[in-house]
Parts: sequence; C-alpha cells; structure tokens
Amino acid sequence: MVDQKQLIKTAKEIVSREDVKYIVGYKQGTYGFVTSPAFAYTPEDVESFIYNPLCKKNLAVYPILEEKLPLKRGEEEDKRKIGLVVKGCDSRALVQIIQEKGLVREDLVIIGIPCKGVIDLKKIEKRFPNQTEVVDVEENDNSEYIIKIGDTVHTIPKEELLSEVCKSCEFPNPPLYDFLMGEEVEVREKEVYSGLRGLDETPIEERWAYWEKHFQNCIRCYACREACPLCYCKTCMADMLDPQWIRRSVNLSENTAWNIMRAFHLAGRCISCGECESVCPANIPLMELNKKLEKDVKEMFKYTAGLDTEEKTLFGTFNPDDPNEFIM
Amino acid sequence: MENLVIQTEKLSEWVNEIIKKNKVFAPVKETDFSNFKIVNDYSEIDLSFLLPMVPAKKILFKQTETLFLFTPGSKGEVKSKEISDEKLVIFSIRSCDAKTFSILDPVFLGDYVDPFYKKRRENSILIGLSCNKPNVNCFCTSFGDSPASRDYVDILLTDLDGKYLVEIVTERGKKFIDDYKKFFASASKEDLESKEKVEKLAIEGITRKMKLEGVSEKLGKMFEHPIWYENAMKCIGCGTCTFVCPTCHCFDMQDESTLREGARIRVWDSCMYPEYTHHASGHNPRPARMNRVRNRIYHKFSYYPTNENIVGCTGCGRCIDYCSVNIDIIDIINEVGEAKL
Amino acid sequence: MTKSSDSKISIQNPYEPWLAEVEKITKEVGGARAIKTYKLVLQDEDAKKNFNFIPGQCVMISIFGKGESMFAISSSSTQKDYIEVSVMKHGKTTTALHEIEEGDIVGLRGPYGNNFDVKGWEGKNIVLIGGGIGQAPLRSVLNYILDNREKYGTLDVVYGARTSKDICFKEEFTELEKRDDVSVHLSIDVEEEGWEKYVGFVPNNLMEVKPSSENAIAITCGPPIMIEYVIQNLLKLGFNEKQIFTTLEMRMKCGIGICGRCNIGNLYVCKDGPVFSYEQLKGLQGDM
Repeated sequence: MVDQKQLIKTAKEIVSREDVKYIVGYKQGTYGFVTSPAFAYTPEDVESFIYNPLCKKNLAVYPILEEKLPLKRGEEEDKRKIGLVVKGCDSRALVQIIQEKGLVREDLVIIGIPCKGVIDLKKIEKRFPNQTEVVDVEENDNSEYIIKIGDTVHTIPKEELLSEVCKSCEFPNPPLYDFLMGEEVEVREKEVYSGLRGLDETPIEERWAYWEKHFQNCIRCYACREACPLCYCKTCMADMLDPQWIRRSVNLSENTAWNIMRAFHLAGRCISCGECESVCPANIPLMELNKKLEKDVKEMFKYTAGLDTEEKTLFGTFNPDDPNEFIM
Repeated sequence: MENLVIQTEKLSEWVNEIIKKNKVFAPVKETDFSNFKIVNDYSEIDLSFLLPMVPAKKILFKQTETLFLFTPGSKGEVKSKEISDEKLVIFSIRSCDAKTFSILDPVFLGDYVDPFYKKRRENSILIGLSCNKPNVNCFCTSFGDSPASRDYVDILLTDLDGKYLVEIVTERGKKFIDDYKKFFASASKEDLESKEKVEKLAIEGITRKMKLEGVSEKLGKMFEHPIWYENAMKCIGCGTCTFVCPTCHCFDMQDESTLREGARIRVWDSCMYPEYTHHASGHNPRPARMNRVRNRIYHKFSYYPTNENIVGCTGCGRCIDYCSVNIDIIDIINEVGEAKL
Repeated sequence: MTKSSDSKISIQNPYEPWLAEVEKITKEVGGARAIKTYKLVLQDEDAKKNFNFIPGQCVMISIFGKGESMFAISSSSTQKDYIEVSVMKHGKTTTALHEIEEGDIVGLRGPYGNNFDVKGWEGKNIVLIGGGIGQAPLRSVLNYILDNREKYGTLDVVYGARTSKDICFKEEFTELEKRDDVSVHLSIDVEEEGWEKYVGFVPNNLMEVKPSSENAIAITCGPPIMIEYVIQNLLKLGFNEKQIFTTLEMRMKCGIGICGRCNIGNLYVCKDGPVFSYEQLKGLQGDM
C-alpha cells in the first residue's frame, strides 16, 4: 500500500523547488468512486493529493497536453519542469514518449508508484450503483478491497473489481522515476489477457461480427485518442482533410477505419494502461486490439514498448532478420 | 387531458402495434449501456437503463446527415435530398431528453429553418417514461423540472409496478392514442396518487443540485476568472461531453465524394477540438483548452439564456458521467455562484 | 418515394446552394498568397432576380467535392446581374477555387449577415481604410458610393499592401486616382524602387492623411493587428466609437447561425455580423 503521507511529503518537496512548475497527482472526485487529476502549484495544493486503487487515470497524458501558446510581447517561455505521479504503465508511457523524442527526460520530475493494480470504475459502479457520497477504497494484504460506504464496510475480493489490463500486467513497477513510493511490488503470476483467450480459435466471421457490433456504436468522440498518452501526433490522421484518410461520416465503415488505424499506429507503442478502453463511452473493447498487436509485436520482433528510454523505437529501426511476410 | 392505464403485460402488444405503422426508436441494450435504435419488435427494447448513451437528439438531428447531393468538379450539378415523410415514435424518452427539443427548436427552427430537423420534429410522437430511479448525476430538478414531468412529451408513461399510467399530454398525443384504445383502461384516482408517490420518491432520489440563481449574470463578470484555467488544466480535450450532451448542436460540413457522385454531409462536431475554430490563416480564436472549456459553459449558461431565454442544459448528467477527468458541470456552476468578485 | 402533393417538402433547404457560372476571373495578386476576383452569375433566373444584398454582406461559395467557404461580396449592390468575390489562396476550399477556370460552375448561397448602413450614411463623409485582401468588402461600399456619388460627402480611400505587387484591385485604384471626387492614399510597407507614394503601415499613413472626423464614418478592414492600430489612430483623430466600423472574420460552416463555431460571446459572426461598430466591438466579451 502506498503511504499517502510519504507521497504528499515528496510532492511538497518537489513542488517547492524553483525549477518545478506544478505537479500532477490525484485527488478525491466530486461523487462516488470517481477520482480527479489534481494540479498542485504550491505545497498547500498538495494537501489534497490521494493515492488509492481508484487512481486509474494515466497522468502521463498531461505533459503532452501542456499548451505551447504564442508568447505575448515581452513574455518568456516557462521552461520549468512538470512533476507527475505515475504507476508502472504510466511510467512506461513516459519512457516510450521519451524514446520517441516527444518529451525530454529532464523536463519531468517523476514520482513512481509500485502498483498493485487499479479498480475498473465501470465494475465498481455496477457493484455499487448510484453512489453519490465520496467513497474511500483501500486494499488489504489479503488481496481484498475494503470499501467503506457510510457505516458499512464491504470487503470484496480484488479479482472482482480489478481492471482487466492489470490482471495481465508484467510491469507493475515504474521503469523510470525520480522518487519511488515504497518497495517494489512482485509481478503477479502472468495471466493471458482475457480478451485474447481463445481468439485464434474464433472463426473470422465471428470475430468480424463481434467488432462490427462494437464499431457501429463508436460515436467518434476521439476520447480514446485524447486520453492516450501515446496519441500525441501534432495532426492526427483522422483530422487531416487533404488527403482525407478517414471520412467524417459516422458509419460502420469509417468507424472501423478509425479504430483499426489507431490500433496500428499504436503497435509497438501501446503500454497497456487501458486508458482508451476505460474512457470509451461506447464500451468498445479497444484493449483487445492493442493486446493482440502487443502480442504480435513481441513474437515477431521481440520488442516490448516503454522499458528503456535509450532503446530505438520499433518502427524507427530495421533489422535484417525482421519477419518479412508483408512488404518484402 | 385524459389519463389511462395499460397493464404491463399488454405493453409489448401495444408497442408492436405502434411498430406496424411507425418507425419506432427505443432504447436497445448494448454492452452495459443502451442506445436509441429502430426496433422491429418490443423484445428488442431494454428499459433497465435510465439514459441511453447518446441522447434522443440524434433521432431528429442525426450525427451524420446528407444535406444534398452533387456532381463533383467544376461543372457541378446539385440534387436535392428528399426528406422522408415517415412517422416517427420515440418510445421511452426521459424528461431531460425530451426537453432537448424545446431547447433546440430556437436553433433549428429560428431565423433559418433546418428542413431535416423540422420534418422529423413534426413527424415524431414523444412517448415519455418517468424515471423511477434517477442516476447519481441527475439534476433536472435544478431547472424546476421533474423526473416524471409531462412538460415535453406527447404521452407520458409511469411504471406503477404491474401497470403503467398513461397520461395524454398533447392533442397530438390524444390523436395518436385513439388508434390504440383497446389496450387501455381509464386511470383511477388511486393510479394518479400512485404516480404522485412515484414522482415524489424519484425527486427525493435526486441528490445533486445545481444552484442557478444569478449564474447567467454572474458569468458576465467572470470571463477572466481563474476557474476556467483550473478546470481546463485537467481537461484532456476529448469531445465526449459534447457528443453525449442532449443540447450540444454544433456540426461540421464536409464534401464526401467519389469521382462521379458526391454529397455534402454534416456531422456532429465538438467545440472541445482546436480545429473547430481554427482559421485557414492559422489564427485560432480559441487556441487553448481554457478558451474551449469556458466557451462550452458560457454557451449553455450565459449565451443561451441571453439569446433564447432558456438555459442550454437539461440536467441529464451525462457530461459528468462520461468525463474521465471528473470535470463536473454541477460543481463548476455552483462554484460560479459562490465565487466572490 | 411517392408522395401526395400536400406532403411535398416545400420549405427551402438553406444548406443547398444555387449554381453560379464563373464568368470572369481577374488575377489581382500572384505568389503563394495569390488573390483572384471571381465574377459569378447565378444560373437560375429567379434566384438571380431575387438575389438582393447590401454592401458588407457575405456569400457561401462551394466547389463541389472540395468544400465551402464564406466570402465578403466585393462588388457593389448597384450591379444587379452578377456578384464578385475576391479570394486569397489559403486553405482547402480557396486553393480549389484558385484552380477553377472561367466558365466553370460553383455553388453559391446567401447573402448572409448584416451590412454596412450605406443608406443611413447618406450625406456623410466616408473614410475607407483597407489593408491587403481586407479591401474586398470595402470595394463593395466604395463602388456603391461611386454609383451614388451625389448622396455622399467627401470620400477618402486609404489602402496599403506589403509590396506594390500585393496591391489588390490595382487597375481600379489607378482609375480611381484619376477622379477628382475621390482621394486615394496608397501605401506599401517597405521601400521599393519606383514607388513614390507613402511607405509605411496603413495606420501611419492614416495619420498622414488626417481625415476629419466631422460628419464622417470610417470603415476599416484588414489584418487584425492593422485594425487594432487603425482604430486607435481614428480615436486620436477625433472619431468616436459610433463612427468607426469594421468587419470580423471567423471560421464558418453553415453560415446561418446553427453550426455554432463562429460565436464571439453570444453573437454569431455569420448572422449577427460581420459588420460591427467599434462601440459594439468594445462591448463584446468573447474569444476573438
């Protein structure tokens, strides 16, 4: 369990530094089980920071979202660092972006959290619907979540509420950090991602029908893209008009094109935080696409994204022994 | 007007009769959520979700609409798009979603009439369903509305456990229901009392409150307030809040063509995207998320009340439900109310 | 689909344009930011007869398959048989427009927006201050006044461009300079061989011209930064905020106040604009 006091103490020290602009962590949300990103500019702001298994949001998206607006006359660029609270997968996102030269390591101060997995908000909200009052959740040593609602304490086996991506997580400890909150956690017994089980045996028609059902519900809000720390292209191919890769019409054909193209653009880059899937209002199981590509990339190229900032990116390199089924 | 009842087991028969003569939109279950879809049989309908993910506005104001057809190129030719005259029924629409149309009418039927919206508006019957169990972020009561409101529908159904109270609200509703008389009996005094109880319970079930008093005027003085920066910092700029909003009506227009034929289409757009206001010159009047978050709130709570004398929000709570970073419109407006200037 | 006559859709589709033939294309400025003027004639006789506008108003022009954009009408409403728009090559639609030829067909709908109060300004002295392509809506007013010359007082035209090559409507300015009922004050931003008129920015040229504010109306169109300084200088010259007018630009799609994007505060530039007095502009609270 992450010591919240230690987290707050560290964050306060960081935010007090002159070379730090602000630090992004988590705070209690406005209702129920929801948590909220918190921006702290002063040590007082840090007081609201929390960390519990509901802190799922991948905050690595924020340094990417930092807006570079045209400077006014006489205004100087603020080059101070941004502090971030990251779990294993979030840290891997940073590693991957740094590897791609999308961010500079020195611009970040990273508080790493050894992660025991986070709760799937949709699962817990289904279990305890219509929860208005803010709820605190803790994890005990018995792999159970202790959920206090009013005067009642619910003890729920962790597996029932844990996010699916966390069940197959191989890297719960942040590979990149400046401060680590507590001891590294042990890697869980490896489990195949639920969405991939039996995939290869499923007939192609069935697979197509499955995705057709999901893609027709896509409303093309692009929440998947905006929530993804690796979706940071300056101009997304979906927004391009000339040439127009994807039409603006919202229908099965264009929706399929969007979701498949996005998945391919994340091949060898996705770090399995599951953010896209959890923000999707249409519940499209996007991680099944990402996990399939992750698996293929690993098998074909022996590459895992987001582990080493010095490593070359998968699609930025060519190896004579790369499998050549496609282009060559 | 008239109050009737229908036994719950007869509901499917009635709806199937309606389906024979009308295009019926009703909530259909997807994975853990529902959406309005055209149904061919009552069995497809799932009333267990309070609000479909995409609001009912999508039936009158489609996400993708062909505005007209053309022959591409410099010798162009235009072909009008016929607007279907079919009769529409929106079944099981909630009060907040039905209110949408009274908010969108001034936009689509104002100085310039949108023929697509107009035709469908005229051709649709709204059969409402009272909310017995509101969601956590419901706040229609903040606007003086009720989860069992008769105000925006033609016919209102209320689940009285075993039967539905059927309140005929409008002349159109009366004319519509005349064709199906055999399914109904007259409502008793007890039935109406039961509805009152259901409504009272539902209202009590709404725990969140947006305090609207003086907000529109106050916003006029808060354009540069730090609250917009604070909320925009955590906004990731996805358009989800605008897509699931029953009153957001912004759209983009695009030409989609092959070599021989083309169509000018309109698709829902979102003011949360930077491209939305980006000029060809490179200038962007709303370059930062702050500008965009602020504009969304101002549009609903300042500009809309100024222009149309109604708040551009129905209190459905979807934008709160679906926001992944907990930008909470109730909290924002309440903070505006409390802000010291 | 078969329909009885009474259910037939009689309401007009405001998104559907008329067809217009490009009768003449005039190259105003070359280069990467080229400007061309298009003379457009509506194909439908009824539409042509009923198309009435007032200077300041705009039209939506379509290139089918490429898109649609809003342009200020640059011809005068005293011309009944055609309208002209002057277009700078900038984005997708304008690039497509620059590729069409005389005789081609474009889509046209409008007119949209409010207008300059040319009727209300009769009897007044008029000062037009333009920069670059910003001259387009001013040309509409200018030609309107020239066609009704006796109804107005003095007429000053202050216009500037980056270089002499960037001057829009060059031949028309040359003709204009020959008239004795118009004072033309041209400028370019940087010195150039053979240029004997003013060198410097438009706002500075305006201070050289020093038009009197008495019984006058000043209209300025051009890049936002130019407008800002022109207005400051007009105030210095004694113009009050009710005497100063400009037009605003925003990205537009529907042109009829529905699609949402062109708002400044509660006003939609397509419908409530594009013409604003400085008095209105000052009161506007919104992103510009």
